[in-house]
This record gives sequence, C-alpha cells and structure tokens, in this order.
Amino acid sequence: MIVANDLSKTFVGVPGQPKRRVVAVESVSFNAQDGRITGLLGPNGAGKSTTLRMLATLVHPDSGQAIIDGYSITENVLAVRQQLGFMPHNAGIYPRLTTRENISYYARLCGLNKKTTANRVDELVNLLDMEKFADRRSDGFSQGQKTKVALARALVHQPQTILLDEPTNGLDVMATRGLRKIIRQLAEAGHCIVFSSHIMQEVAALCDEIAIIADGKISMTGTLDSLLTHTGQSSLEDAFVSAIGGEL
Amino acid sequence: MNVLVILWKEIVDNLRDRQTVFYALLFGPVLLPLIIGGGLGASLKQATVSFDQPAALAVKHADRAPNLMQFLHSNNFDIETAPEDAEDSVRRGDVVLILEVPEDFSTALRNGQPAPLIIYVNDGDKHSAKEARKVNSVLNAYSQTINALRMQHRGIDPSVFNSINVRLEDVSSDGFRGQILASILPFLLIVAMVMGGFYLAIDTTAGERERLSLEPLLSLPIARYKLVLGKYMAVLFFVGISSILTAISLYLVFRFLSPEAASGILSFDAPTITTAWLLSSPLIFFISAVLMTVAATTRSTKEAQTYLGLLMVFPMAPFFILQFVNIKSANLTMTLPMLSQYQLLERVVLKDSISTTHIALSVAGTLLSTALLYFLAVRLYSREKVL
Repeated sequence: MIVANDLSKTFVGVPGQPKRRVVAVESVSFNAQDGRITGLLGPNGAGKSTTLRMLATLVHPDSGQAIIDGYSITENVLAVRQQLGFMPHNAGIYPRLTTRENISYYARLCGLNKKTTANRVDELVNLLDMEKFADRRSDGFSQGQKTKVALARALVHQPQTILLDEPTNGLDVMATRGLRKIIRQLAEAGHCIVFSSHIMQEVAALCDEIAIIADGKISMTGTLDSLLTHTGQSSLEDAFVSAIGGEL
Repeated sequence: MNVLVILWKEIVDNLRDRQTVFYALLFGPVLLPLIIGGGLGASLKQATVSFDQPAALAVKHADRAPNLMQFLHSNNFDIETAPEDAEDSVRRGDVVLILEVPEDFSTALRNGQPAPLIIYVNDGDKHSAKEARKVNSVLNAYSQTINALRMQHRGIDPSVFNSINVRLEDVSSDGFRGQILASILPFLLIVAMVMGGFYLAIDTTAGERERLSLEPLLSLPIARYKLVLGKYMAVLFFVGISSILTAISLYLVFRFLSPEAASGILSFDAPTITTAWLLSSPLIFFISAVLMTVAATTRSTKEAQTYLGLLMVFPMAPFFILQFVNIKSANLTMTLPMLSQYQLLERVVLKDSISTTHIALSVAGTLLSTALLYFLAVRLYSREKVL
C-alpha cells in the first residue's frame, strides 16, 4: 500500500541551461490500496515518472513523504526497495544475457538463494509465457519480449507493491492485452499496483482508481465512475480534459 | 554475497563481448608485448656485437695470408672460401660479408708497408653492417699486434705512440639502450592494465546508463557501496588477468625472441618479471579505480571513451618523462602512483638495489589514492544525477 503526501521535486539545470529550475512534481498526494490497480494518468512531462522515481527511492523528494507498506521512502530506503518491484519505462535489460540470466541476476541481488531463484525463474517464465525465448540472449528481442523480461525481473522477489512506468509503450494489441491480464492477476493476488500511462483507453480498461496528473500536480482522483460523475462527462478523455482545466 | 553476484554477472556478461575480450586478453597482454617488446629486443640483438659466438667468414684468397687466418680463427671466425664474384654476391645478399686478401698483401707486409685488405659489405643490410664492425675490430687488433712487433723490431717501445689512454667507465648498471628497454616493462604492464579494464569499466558504468538498465538496478535493495564494489571487482578482475598474462608473455617474448637481451645486460628472467609484477600489482587496484570512477562521471559510452582515451596518456607520460628528465627516486615521487612503479620496475630490470622505504611508499601512496577514488565512485553513484 502506498500513502503519498505532498511530494514535491524541483530539478535545477536542463541541458543548455544549467541554472534553470524545473518544477517536476508539486504537492502530489494519492493513496494506492492493496489488491487494486491505481492509474497515474497524465500527458507527457506531467511528472508521472518523477513521482514513480521518488516512490522507488531513486530520487529524493524536496518535501513531502510517502509510506510504502509501512516504510518511509526517505528513511527506510532499503526496506522500501525490498517491498517494491519497479519497472521503468524502458525495459533496460542486458542484451548479452539470456532471459533466464537477466531474471536470475535480479533474484540473486534481492537475496534469493540459487534453488529458490531457479524455481522462481521457472514460475515467471511460465506465468509470462516466455518459454520460447527463455534461453536466448535478449539482444534482438521484440519490444514485447523485452517488456516481459523486465516485468519478470521486477516481480522476481515477490514484492508486495509494483510500480509500472508506461509498461505498454511500444507493445502491439495482443501483447498489451496479455500484459493487462497479468496485471489483473497480480492485483487479484493482493498486490498493490501503480501504473502510469498517457493512454486513456488503457487506464479506463484496467484501473480501479485513477489519479489525473498534469504540470506536476494531481488535479483529480477517484474511480472511473466518480471522475465521470464529478466532471459531468461521458468519457474518460473528456473527463481528463475537463479535470486539467482544458477546453472541451 | 551481492557483491559476488554482481562480479560474476559482469564477468560472464563481458566475456561475451568481443571488444572487451580482445582488448583485455589479446591486445594488451599478447599483441603489444610481441610488437613492442619483441621488436625492441630483436633490434637490440642486431645492434649488439657478440664476439663469443663462432661465426662464419667468407675469405677470398685466404691462402695469401695464413697468419691472419690463424688470428681470425682464434677470434672465433670459421674461415670459408668466398665465391669468385665477391662484390655481386654480397650485393645480392648470398653472402653477408667477404674479406678479400689482395695479391700484394704479403709483399707489403714483409716490406713494412701498409698491407691492403678489402671488406665487401652491404651497409644497407643491418646484419652485414654488424658483421663488418665485428671483423673490423678484430682486424684492428691484428694490426696493432703487428705494429707493436714492428716497433719492437726497431727498438722502440710501442707505448710511446699511445700518448693518451682514455678509459670509459659507465657507472649505470647499463647504458642508455638498456634504460629504454628497462622502461618497456613498466610501460607494457601499465598499458596492458589500462587496456584490460578499459571497455569493462565503460560497459559497467556509462554502458549500463546508456542501455537504461541502471535505473531498475538502483531500485533494488542493495547498498550503493556494494554495487560499486561489485562493479569495481569485475574491472579489477580483468585488469588483474590482463597484467598477469602480460607478465607471462613478456617473459616468453624476451626468452625466445631475444635470448641475448634476456641473458645479457638486462634481466628479464622469471624472478625479475615476478618481482616486477609484484611491485606493479598495487597499480591493478589503482588503475581499476581510475577507470571506473572516470567512466562513472560520463553519461554515454562515447563520452567515456573520449575521457578514458585522453587518460591513456597518463600511463605513457612517465615513460617519456623519464627518458628526458632525470628524476631522482626521492621519497616524494615514490608516493605517486605510476611514476613510482616506473622507477621501481626500471631498477628491478637493471638489477639496481631498491630500498624498502621506497617500496612501502609506493604501495601506500597507490593504495591510498585507490581508496579515495573508490569513495568518489560511491559518491557519484549516490547522486540522483547518476540516472
């Protein structure tokens, strides 16, 4: 479970302008419950990735706090990481390692012993339907295959909370549907899932809770129905535009 | 435990990378010693004149100077009959060098006149020129013996004509040529170390960032110092292997390609190479730390290659500086990594004595610098900007 309170982050310096200050995230608060899929919906550059990076303890918030499964992201960094499975928006897998080796590496780093690792890797290969490329080096994998390996890697230590940053990027229809099914299964198994995306249909089809984020701020949170009721719109897209104060 | 997992993964991962394997295991340790060490050794062999080994000498009309032939024979020359077309056969390279005894040789000698001798030599051929120097010096000795006999015959003390007797005493263990050859050992060892860790250091730091695999890695429950240690140990492994292989191949190169260099003025035998490797071994830690820390500051492999490429000048700098500037082995210079190892290794090869204080300072200075660089690398990895 995630309880995020007033998270803010400002970066100093952008390429070419070393002194410019960029407010990436400003006072972001939201809750994500166990057993539910929470969608972080926002346009590109809205602050989704920075928010997830703060939750994943990669970026230290300037102010605010978040508690993940009882641990503070600023004080119990290693404990938070043990609870977390984080998949950044690029797969970032090792091209010269096979699927199994990629997953095993993370399992071993998370402290699983050899035998447990082997069993867990078999389980994940089965779960994500990766038998065909389990022993191939990942150089030349399709985007879908890479995403599966990265997801397996994030899940290998059976984390309670799972952060997925734009996981469907670059996936075709069938791969996206497959991924959705897996995410639902994980939620049904009691995991807390935070899922960021800029694609409306995706969020509408998958998420139990939606937090709309724009310009670094959360403009509205709630279930799909409550967002529609609240904004008086009939589609998530219209509700989204209305929520971020745009013209319909 | 985590550290070993990272170490093992990086080794397996990079052994599958042809570039890393080529530079770490082949270029530095095998090709460089063969090209540079072997080349220098071979040219030294050519330039060194050996009077101890018997050599064949083609002589035209040997029968005209039986006493000279005996003198040459006693100076380790086996006299052979030269072909008729002396000039052409030397030019063609059929015979290295030919000594011709002209018809009036014995007459001139008997009459107390300068007796003519002709040496056919091809000065463009190093081997021929070297043989000419050797024959010439033996002939000079013969000439001096005859001069002395002639003067004594006329009742003059031969030493009257030696107004000055210059004696050259070289106080270094070996001359200039030896100095260059001696600095080749530290040079090749250090270059091999740098080449050995070069691509691995880039791959595990800037490469990881470029492949975007750093972000998920940093979100795992591992302390940053362990992560850096694992990567550092992987670089250390390749640098270490590279330097051991280089030491072995240098030993083999000097043993088989130029036995004279190995046995003569310089010492490149097994104990020397082992001592040299041991004295240079703190550099394995230092160079690994330099490579990793510098590569960790860069954002892409291309940037890392540029910086580390510039850094390649450093291992070469002491080599050139020490050729031109005579730096005394003071306590202060002995604390400097690279420079101190250069000086120590040169002394080992030249069989000079080495003080234990200098060894202690060299080891301490190098390891201290390594520790500082390691802490710098951990700091770099703890910054948010590392992503």
